Amino acid sequence: MTSIEKEGIKMDDCFYKIIEIRSLTDETFSLILPKARFPFKPGRHISLRIHGNHRSREYSIYSGAFDENLEVLVKEVENGYFTPRLRKLKAGDLLEIHGPFGKFGIDKMTAEAGKFVFIASGTGIAPFRSMIRTYPEINYTLIHGVRESAEAYDREEYAADRYVLCTSRDLKGDYVGRLTGYLKICSFAPETQFYICGNSNMIFDALDILKNKGFERDQIHCEVYF
Amino acid sequence: MKYHLITLGCQMNLSDSERVSAVLEAMGYVFTENEEEAILLGILACSVRQKPIDKIYNKIAQWNRWKNSRNLITFVSGCILPDDKEKFLKTFDLIFQMSELAQLPEMIRGYGIVTPAGLKQPTPVMPKNEHITEMWNIKPKYQSTYEAFVPIQNGCDKFCTFCAVPYTRGREVSRPSSEIIDEVRHLVQQGYKSITLLGQNVNSYGLDKEGLEINFAQLLRQVGEFGKASGEEFWVYFTSPHPQDMNREVIEVIASYDCLAKQIHLPMQSGDERVLIKMNRRHSMDKYRRIVADIRELLPDATLFTDIIVGFTAEGEAEFENTVAAMNEFRFNMAYIAMYSPRPGAASYRWENEVSSDDKKDRLHRLSEVMKIHSHSYNQSLVGKTLRVLINGTDRKTGFSTGLTEGKLIVRIDKQDESLMGKIVDVRITSAADFSMSGELVQVLSNQI
Repeated sequence: MTSIEKEGIKMDDCFYKIIEIRSLTDETFSLILPKARFPFKPGRHISLRIHGNHRSREYSIYSGAFDENLEVLVKEVENGYFTPRLRKLKAGDLLEIHGPFGKFGIDKMTAEAGKFVFIASGTGIAPFRSMIRTYPEINYTLIHGVRESAEAYDREEYAADRYVLCTSRDLKGDYVGRLTGYLKICSFAPETQFYICGNSNMIFDALDILKNKGFERDQIHCEVYF
Repeated sequence: MKYHLITLGCQMNLSDSERVSAVLEAMGYVFTENEEEAILLGILACSVRQKPIDKIYNKIAQWNRWKNSRNLITFVSGCILPDDKEKFLKTFDLIFQMSELAQLPEMIRGYGIVTPAGLKQPTPVMPKNEHITEMWNIKPKYQSTYEAFVPIQNGCDKFCTFCAVPYTRGREVSRPSSEIIDEVRHLVQQGYKSITLLGQNVNSYGLDKEGLEINFAQLLRQVGEFGKASGEEFWVYFTSPHPQDMNREVIEVIASYDCLAKQIHLPMQSGDERVLIKMNRRHSMDKYRRIVADIRELLPDATLFTDIIVGFTAEGEAEFENTVAAMNEFRFNMAYIAMYSPRPGAASYRWENEVSSDDKKDRLHRLSEVMKIHSHSYNQSLVGKTLRVLINGTDRKTGFSTGLTEGKLIVRIDKQDESLMGKIVDVRITSAADFSMSGELVQVLSNQI
């Protein structure tokens, strides 16, 4: 078993000490952790557990594959079991992390050649930030659906002409309304590859819209948040 | 010194139990069917449904009562959810992961220590599979003389929302291909006729060691080459594959070798695109359709089996009808249809279960009826043909024998002969029923008698 020495305690290398909790909105925050001890392709997810608690949840990796820190984006769910506990963590607390898992994502060769539309609702933006940070030259448009513009997490990191914010509860979005409303009025190049991440209802609707626009199912890649 | 072992759940547990028995018997323990005379009592747990978990709680309560009057050691392993593991730590003497099996004698000898890893802090809750290879090195005590399971992979990285296996078995780890080929070779040399390559996701084989290990198609090719060179008649199956990693190359390899059985088990779970997304199956119906088309093109005589869950959260009547349509489209020879049951630890356990029990039962019944039509029709098409059948049961009372075709279809033969057990024989099919056929013995290969 590989292990690391930290402050005299011999720990399995699946344990990460939280470096910082970065607050993004009243409900949303990111957990900043030491550099990942595993290689990963952007878009992959990890299993995360609070030390001392036996339940775990899966989260897409929010940081790029070459970033100095592993980062996870979390939205606190009111009356939820896991996220309120995550919210209470402090720097120095231990998390058990396993992974990476999944197939969602883009490899380097595809990223260099393709044309991509990323469609995210809420914290479903996480895998796309990872992809964009890993492949800065990627040809993408990111359509991000949120309720209020404050939820445009780390918006300044994306090129203004590549990021479309859709807000359903304020007027500050590039498009005011649900992202599925925006998708309906958009036109896309026939060779576009679509990546969708978020809650299942949004994915169902986006899938129908894109299929109605004539895109093949193989051009549409989905990652459901649950 | 007698032991009793209860194995619950799937073929993977059955295969693991053969290795547990081998370890215990190497220590001098002798198996007994009667748990009351055993001093070592163990369970290989299954967490796929609630019923087997309830059985474990009942058993350990009973065994702990027996401890008032005699000395016993109890242990549990297999698929255990973290929440149950916490409780089992307090009720069983030993709890271990299969990857720790090689250390079981040491644990038993040091009886009183809960688990070798249990007292260290901090300890990962999610099973780590790095040492599972040590378990695979243990020579199993096969329960049959003609049918065997060979583990090739353990764990699951797929995170289907209805399933808790990633939390009970840990992530996917592939067994070295050289060991797999050696075990297959050994079994064939011993006269085994049916060998099943086992894993939670067999066609993800090798992907955890990309560049260092061959992939599943290459593994099958190596098995096929060995089979061809051996000159023996035997059938190699695999289960379970996941459509996500199934590809045409695998099917091409199966088509190329006689020993690779022309039977594919391809779990569909639902015929509805939305339900598949909600299940986090990570493949579309288009992808599933393409795989089936490849099977029909390259393996025209292959039988096709599947797994289906009815009544999953988000499955309305329209979604269920899509599953019925898929059933009619793919004309499965067998479908293992289950009513959705929320499992603690799985993501869907946290969702409201929208489908009533009555609706689930109704859908199970309706889908089973569709299944029957296709199965019967296929079986009927075989009447008059002569098929190779592996005899796996004889009954003196009825005077019948039973067996399985290469495609795993059940055949009943009007002849009772113990010497036929484990032999592959020619049977002429005389009549067909919904899920089986009847036939008459044509001949037995002379070198097999």
